[in-house]
Amino acid sequence: MRIAYVLNEAFNNIRRNGLVVLGAVLAVFVSLFLTFGTLIFGEIARVNTERWQEDVRVIGFIRTDFRDVEGLRVEIESWEEVEAVIYYSPAEALEEARVLFKDDPRQLQIIEDDPSIIPASLRVRPVDLNDYDTIKQRLTNSPGVSDVISADEAVQQIAAIRDGLRVFFWVLAIALGVAAVALIANTIHMAIYARREELEIMHLVGASNWFVRTPFLIEGVVEGVLGSGIAVATGIGLYNLARDRLADLPEFINLTIDNAFLLRWGLLMIGFGAIVGIIGSGISLAVHKYVRT
Amino acid sequence: MIRLHNVTKVYDNSVVAVREVGLEVAKGEFVFLVGPSGSGKSTLLRLMMREEKPDTGEVWVAGKHASALPSWKVPHLRRSIGTVFQDFKLLPNKTVYENVSFALEVTGRSRHVVRTQVPQVLKLVGLSNKADRQPRQLSGGEQQRVSIARAFVNRPLILLADEPTGNLDPATSVGIMRILDRINRTGTTVVMATHDHAIVDAMRRRVVQLDDGQVIRDQRSGAYEIRVQSNVARAEAEPEDTELDTTEADAPDEADAPDEAGDLEDTAPTEAATDGDGDGDDATPEEHPGGDV
Repeated sequence: MRIAYVLNEAFNNIRRNGLVVLGAVLAVFVSLFLTFGTLIFGEIARVNTERWQEDVRVIGFIRTDFRDVEGLRVEIESWEEVEAVIYYSPAEALEEARVLFKDDPRQLQIIEDDPSIIPASLRVRPVDLNDYDTIKQRLTNSPGVSDVISADEAVQQIAAIRDGLRVFFWVLAIALGVAAVALIANTIHMAIYARREELEIMHLVGASNWFVRTPFLIEGVVEGVLGSGIAVATGIGLYNLARDRLADLPEFINLTIDNAFLLRWGLLMIGFGAIVGIIGSGISLAVHKYVRT
Repeated sequence: MIRLHNVTKVYDNSVVAVREVGLEVAKGEFVFLVGPSGSGKSTLLRLMMREEKPDTGEVWVAGKHASALPSWKVPHLRRSIGTVFQDFKLLPNKTVYENVSFALEVTGRSRHVVRTQVPQVLKLVGLSNKADRQPRQLSGGEQQRVSIARAFVNRPLILLADEPTGNLDPATSVGIMRILDRINRTGTTVVMATHDHAIVDAMRRRVVQLDDGQVIRDQRSGAYEIRVQSNVARAEAEPEDTELDTTEADAPDEADAPDEAGDLEDTAPTEAATDGDGDGDDATPEEHPGGDV
């Protein structure tokens, strides 16, 4: 009876304040949709720049018959335009290839059939990230190096965007999160105000504090979860749409990300929405005299 | 049942609402608080229902130290107190039945309790046939009866009424007083603040008179004002009220007069009471107007 009553009150509040609730839900939606979208985009960027992480810009593949790899590594690292050189063994390279081609079964099959085609490599981080032509040149002329690839401009840009997004993500999450909290606090404030007579009587007849406050907390959580749920659904929907529509992008851009990633972050977003709701209604409950004895 | 010990309440604007008041109300008593506006009647009631805390002194209500009660325990105290106000405080969009059942529902009573108690208490206040009406479809007197039903449906030990007849005409007020009297007869302690001379004079119950926040009279079965009191001045009365004023004498007898105890000394015209000196010389109103005990 008590639980049913409290839930009933919460949903009555939501119904009575339809427009204001819609405003709060939209605020949560917009903020978490942007956050979720940023996360998805960040993940796409991460997948596509996996091998260019840690500021690696040039990769030299080693001939399989070359023995003194360590000597070569030390030598390259001594070049003045080089910051660091990382050695990737064939085994590590195979692991990486499996990740890279996980959505390309045909390629994957070729690799699995003959793992020896995956060579060891030396990955070079330049002192100046944009100046790797010299390194590329010198690496091509080095003994034991069969092939050299460098991050091209597209990858460079994706990496730059990804780095920028990290900052953007946090600023956005915090700023919009605050806005959503404020809007939810406002709806709860209005709900409390609209029911002030009822609350006064509840206090007079001895309704316990949790009985008075819980409906407002539930209302906040429902609004937060509703907003974040729509945000996650929209985010995943738009992502799927974009992946299908942009199927003929250049080879090197891979739009596929892990479903587990979407699931994990989707649930976290919804949890975050619930927290936003609790904080919002908590603020309102803390400042309102009608809900205090 | 209620005990105030040396209670002083000063409001923020340094208005002293209640000054060193000591008051004891026994179980089952009916007490009128009288006095001009601003004399502290309402503050006294608010202190009893723990709407306010005294600045000094102690308030004990229903065996609980109300003035020292932590706020989370206040709801439990309130369940042993019913409250009735001048402005009824009914919820306009709920029916009579719902207004009364509200008090049970929000204190977590079961549906069974609601279904049995509400019709009972509606019958007590004579509104069984109007259970489905909304407050705006009722007269003022009927609305006040609903609010009394709501205050009493929890079967509180104490009923606190702040000017319950303040908005009602005399005839309607009598009806309200009948109900309060009936509730009092069930053993419920009733404390009622009022300006209504006729009612106080007719009921002949204990009268506590306040002026400027202080108790200036506490009389066992008194009238609203000393000077309109009938023939026998009370022992507690002030000297100047012994003046002859028999003409205004007793109030109309509409409110049923069957006062229990205490009336022995109250020489009502019909019954000859003994003097306080116990020598058996009876006093009749006509010839003993100012007879002191």
